[in-house]
Amino acid sequence: MKILGLSAHYHDSAAALLIDGLPVAAVQEERLSRRKNDAAFPLGAIEYCLDVAGLEPDDLDAVVFYEKPMLKFERVLTTALRTFPRSFRSFPHAMKNMLGEKAWVRGVITSRLGVPGRKILFTEHHQSHAAAAFLTAPTERAAMLTADGVGEWATLTVGTGERGSAGTRIAIDREIHFPHSLGMLYSTFTAYLGFAVNEGEYKVMGLASYGEPTMAEAVRKLIPRTPDGAFRLDLDFFEFHSTARRSFSDKFVRAFGPPRNRYEPIDLTTEQGRRFANVAASVQRVLEDILVDLTRDLHQRTGLTDLCLGGGVALNGVANARILRESGFERLFVPPSPGDAGCAIGAALFADRVHFGNPDKPFPDHPFWGPEPDGAALARIAEEDRLPFETLDDARLIAETADDLAAGRIVGWMEGRCEFGPRALGHRSLLAAPHDGAMRDRLNRDIKYREEFRPFAPVVLAHEAERLFEMPGGGNRLSRFMSGVFPVRPEWRERLGAVTHVDGTARVQTLEREFAPRLYALIEAFHARTGVPVLLNTSLNLAGEPIVCSAQEGYSTFRRSGIDLLIAGTTRVRKRDRRAKASPRMENVA
Amino acid sequence: MGSWVSPVQLWVWRDPVRRGHRLLRFAEVEADGGRDLARAAELTSDARLRTLYLRHARDEQLHADLFRRRGAALLRAHGGEAGWEPGWLAPGERGLDDLTVERDGDAPLLAFLHLSERAAAIGFSTYHRAVAGDPETQAMFARILKDEAFHMNYTRRELARVAPQKQGWLLWKARAGRLWKGYLRFAVALAGVLGGIMLALQYFILIPPFAWAAKRAGRREPQGWVKVNEESGRMSGEF
Repeated sequence: MKILGLSAHYHDSAAALLIDGLPVAAVQEERLSRRKNDAAFPLGAIEYCLDVAGLEPDDLDAVVFYEKPMLKFERVLTTALRTFPRSFRSFPHAMKNMLGEKAWVRGVITSRLGVPGRKILFTEHHQSHAAAAFLTAPTERAAMLTADGVGEWATLTVGTGERGSAGTRIAIDREIHFPHSLGMLYSTFTAYLGFAVNEGEYKVMGLASYGEPTMAEAVRKLIPRTPDGAFRLDLDFFEFHSTARRSFSDKFVRAFGPPRNRYEPIDLTTEQGRRFANVAASVQRVLEDILVDLTRDLHQRTGLTDLCLGGGVALNGVANARILRESGFERLFVPPSPGDAGCAIGAALFADRVHFGNPDKPFPDHPFWGPEPDGAALARIAEEDRLPFETLDDARLIAETADDLAAGRIVGWMEGRCEFGPRALGHRSLLAAPHDGAMRDRLNRDIKYREEFRPFAPVVLAHEAERLFEMPGGGNRLSRFMSGVFPVRPEWRERLGAVTHVDGTARVQTLEREFAPRLYALIEAFHARTGVPVLLNTSLNLAGEPIVCSAQEGYSTFRRSGIDLLIAGTTRVRKRDRRAKASPRMENVA
Repeated sequence: MGSWVSPVQLWVWRDPVRRGHRLLRFAEVEADGGRDLARAAELTSDARLRTLYLRHARDEQLHADLFRRRGAALLRAHGGEAGWEPGWLAPGERGLDDLTVERDGDAPLLAFLHLSERAAAIGFSTYHRAVAGDPETQAMFARILKDEAFHMNYTRRELARVAPQKQGWLLWKARAGRLWKGYLRFAVALAGVLGGIMLALQYFILIPPFAWAAKRAGRREPQGWVKVNEESGRMSGEF
């Protein structure tokens, strides 16, 4: 069967194609349109998926949309009715918003792809999240928890999944409904702290490490627990459900002080800057406490050893690590794209395994489903622009790149198909030596142009991870897709200065050889030169732009920033003037 | 570019908080334009244009940084807060936000860029005069105006190089395109206002009884967990 999964219209639209139960291609629209968080109908992504398989839309057996638009419309309308007359400003906006393309998805798919309506199916939003989390994980039985801002009505669901020769079963047995939402709580604080909602949540998590949870009790008042162990939001503190103006109320501001002006940098040496850090630490602590509590209860009720997490909240690596340590589950699976983009894969898998009842197949355990870079195109452009370039054999390329990294150069690294999901996991990465805090500052200043409080992540050889980081049981698995934050062992913190956050932690990616063989070989070579089996790994993009996909995009990023050399496949391009960039060769520090 | 500054512009730029908001808006437009130029550099097969587009993109990013820093400084100094900003009060460069870089070739893009840069240069020249009482902001506009002059000139020169026979026609087409887009923006804004009025009327006339019923139903809903009884049975062609 050929099944196309789609997510669109809110943020991070994407398409994924399954053929006979296995993925063939998956890509976020933003990687092709070059518009960050592109929410448009993913026509480019669909064309890419069909091209990879050599299919026409007519060849598809089903097109599955990741949520039910009319249920969503019902929720929007009901919410407006329940907040009458306060919703008088948001009502016209919400109706115009919903009654455009968003409510008529079947017609949109039919008209854009020419697929007959009978082939178009709809899953529920959190079913898609659950399927994306469970059916991509290497486990046959697991508990599931999905949490995000909101889908149709559900904001958080729990259940269990089973798969095997007897078929596939995904049973969501309890859920919490809008407006009571962990995702909305965190997003409200994201907006309060002056960051963009659906994008700045990482920043809140990064900022939290600089503060103390001194206002945790105040945050708990916003989200009291219900007698059955769930939670509700005290809506007096919020306005996201009733106005389009802002998400928090005056009562919220009285509780936490004036919100941050988003154009003001956070200065952690001032009282106000510390207050913002404390607010971030407080909401982070409360989020973690509630998730640990819910997952502990889920563990006790199901008695299962594995937990699959889905939804945007599963991107919170600090919370994930606490869940792994404290919930009782032995293994925690977070897919590489737990947010809405990943629902394209989830919806297609749900249709294949559950709706059509096709036999279960193990899902390839990697996120590399997008376009490949063309090294020859990079060579051609470099030649036209008279930049020094070479096409090298792998052994020499890896040895010389390790030399460059050890000498303090920053490398743009493109190989193979691009990642599906928000993280660069070794195919579209910026790599650098992890030793020195000055490297972090240089990356922030010359390339990423981002706030100093945001940490960079390390990628470490899997068998070395426990020597460098305090990894609990199951930590290696959680780190496969950079989904957990763990303490750096004290004796390594100084030597991993560029990737150790202010609280001594790091968002670790553990690397197995078969996951990305060339990157693995590069880290081995770097290890041999420096004694450190770790590289700094951050996404290959500039601020406000999506992660690069093609060689041309990598080149444009290289030319506009302080990246010293760019590698696509076996082609390497350098800047003409490297005098100012290289620092003295690093000593063996292990 | 005469020396006259309209009273509207003087009024807009007189207030430092309003000035700060305007500059922050310009920062976003310039940053958007920079991203579109980078995209144009990625797509062109003309090496000379690629170099020029990349330089232009870097300039736009620099301008965005200058605008952002100055705008934030003005708001900080005068107690302004970031928030809603009336973009229609001081029409200037519209940026390239509605540009379809992928669809257009180099020649139409250069024609569009030339007109856009020309409009920006005229606008910034006006603002430069309107902020005579704020030397720091004025110096920033002077610095940016030099770049705009370069952008305006290189786009015209390159248009003549890549489309020597069609340059005049392409410029007229780009002018017509800008007018059409301006009309569309106006029409969409007007439709939005009219639609908003109609929906607001419906809200107050039709909604109240349904709102009463919805609130009543909402009060009876239990808080906390909602049990889901169906098992894997919620997928269908129904939406």
